[in-house]
Amino acid sequence: MSETRFKAMRDMPSAHLLGAGTAMCAGCGGLEAVHEIYDVLGKNTVFVNAAGCMSLLSIYPFTPFRGSWLYTSMASAPAGAQGVRDALDILKDKGRIGDDEDLQVVTLTGDGAAYGMGLSATSGAIERGLDFLYVCYDNEGYGNTGQQTSGATPHGAHTATATGESGYPGFKKDLFSIWAAHEPAYVATVIGSEPLDLARKVEKAATMTGPRLVIALSPCPTGWDYDPQLTAEIGHLVVKTGVWPLKEYLDGKVTHTRTPHPRAPVEDYLKLQGRFRHLFEPERNEVLLAGIQAQVDAYWAPLEESP
Amino acid sequence: MFRIRFHGRGGQGMKTASRILGTAFFLEGFEVQDAPRYGAERRGAPIFAYVRADKAPIYERGVIDRPGLVIVADDTLMGVSAAGVMDGVDAKTVLLVIGGEDPEIWRDRLKTEARILTLKSFVDEETSERPYVGAVCAGAAARLVGVVSKARLEEALTQELEEHGKTVISKNLGRAREAYDTVADDEGIIIDVPNMPPAEPSPPDWVDLPLDPADVASPSIYATATSVQVRTGLWRTMRPVLEPDLCKKCVWVCGSLCPDGVISADADGYPEIDYDHCKGCMICVVQCPPHALTAVPEGQAQGEIEAAEGAPP
Repeated sequence: MSETRFKAMRDMPSAHLLGAGTAMCAGCGGLEAVHEIYDVLGKNTVFVNAAGCMSLLSIYPFTPFRGSWLYTSMASAPAGAQGVRDALDILKDKGRIGDDEDLQVVTLTGDGAAYGMGLSATSGAIERGLDFLYVCYDNEGYGNTGQQTSGATPHGAHTATATGESGYPGFKKDLFSIWAAHEPAYVATVIGSEPLDLARKVEKAATMTGPRLVIALSPCPTGWDYDPQLTAEIGHLVVKTGVWPLKEYLDGKVTHTRTPHPRAPVEDYLKLQGRFRHLFEPERNEVLLAGIQAQVDAYWAPLEESP
Repeated sequence: MFRIRFHGRGGQGMKTASRILGTAFFLEGFEVQDAPRYGAERRGAPIFAYVRADKAPIYERGVIDRPGLVIVADDTLMGVSAAGVMDGVDAKTVLLVIGGEDPEIWRDRLKTEARILTLKSFVDEETSERPYVGAVCAGAAARLVGVVSKARLEEALTQELEEHGKTVISKNLGRAREAYDTVADDEGIIIDVPNMPPAEPSPPDWVDLPLDPADVASPSIYATATSVQVRTGLWRTMRPVLEPDLCKKCVWVCGSLCPDGVISADADGYPEIDYDHCKGCMICVVQCPPHALTAVPEGQAQGEIEAAEGAPP
């Protein structure tokens, strides 16, 4: 890979492209990631946005973007991106736009669309080798409608549809592996609280062609029930505890860009969030806490054994 | 009929306050409506919720336009016209403000004939925080209407917060009881206005409005980043303030982590915060490496700015 222009945090942009004044919640971890991604991609982008929290970014006559934005139904953002890409290619072929006027086609969806409803459309788009960048802001539930369970909801979390002593009985779907199994050009996980890691990955993805997909874990004060000022702190902890591995898939290989060492106990991350409060109050649920820790340990075990 | 409107910010529990009060009325044998009202805005944005309660069937629908009681959980909303706190408030209305200032000051500022009560003791003097303010609002409302017993209030609160567990319920119960007791002197102050019969419909004076062509009615917008026209700075209750002497000018930290991207470097390399749009999440305050940013209550910050500019108090 060629030299990155993001060698240190000081290389992060000090002015920002995404306009302020959007309807996202104060302290939105998704917006934190999206504004950082947009700063790296630059203004020659067109966003294809599936229904979700971020479809409130652009509410007529207001938009935070410097260019076009297309709104699609929840399951069909990758199909929308195909149409936009095809149209741009036709315009280029006919000589109506030059290469310098070409746009990066970015699909922007939440986890509801990425992990669930839109997965089939994404699979098809990768199959066709669509030249696009998919950005999923993953707040682990259907946040825009009140945080119902989605395919991204982690084990044991409370959601509007998973209440009771043990929270959600299922497990977070491994979308990274599902996407990577399609062998696209690039897949990565990022988080807004690690801007440098995010910027390097998005920079890399932007220079490539073909399907490139990025999952941004998005701490959500409203859906995860914590004070908005803790968004970046929770983001740091989810990486330090190994709950959200930062990694990338390239040329058939998965590489971890950050190996937390030593790994902090998952409790450090869980106890700050109201959606996991039932694991600690009225009394500690040792079985469930140990189960969540064991799952994270099992993920890292092979990586920590190798030299 | 009792008509009660709760005003607060998203996240302060106004929807829950209205549910608790509505359920308490219901347990007392009333017919009840309760509904929250908010748009696409989120946590921190002005929202309201309302309750109607009557012994007879309720035929009124929609937002309450002649409230008997208006409770304001956050006094910083009083100056936000979009919050609509004063909509339909008249001499028959009781206005209860959770905040540090006296009723006379509000009466003078608002030029209203409404009866005004304030609750100071529920605001932390140091931090301006209002813990469990939803429960405070529900507890005070239950006493002011004069027909809800403490036992029913407690039963309603426990029902509504059941899924949050015992600790949350007991903390909220404590605040609700405290508010119920604090406003004891004003028990029953709300005037029970009889259900208004529907007015005789009279034919309106129709005005013909020709349909505009689409490109006039909803013109294409070619300008970029028009969202800056929306002043989300109004959502803020706390303001991050920079102490330049402590600042190490690492603006790439606060500037990147700010979700709304409202922190940029100024000409000298210091972070410059766009207060018209800062929503007050305080991530920058928590993350600033040299602790050069502090959280200041918005009211206090505005007071200091006015004093510095020599504006009349």
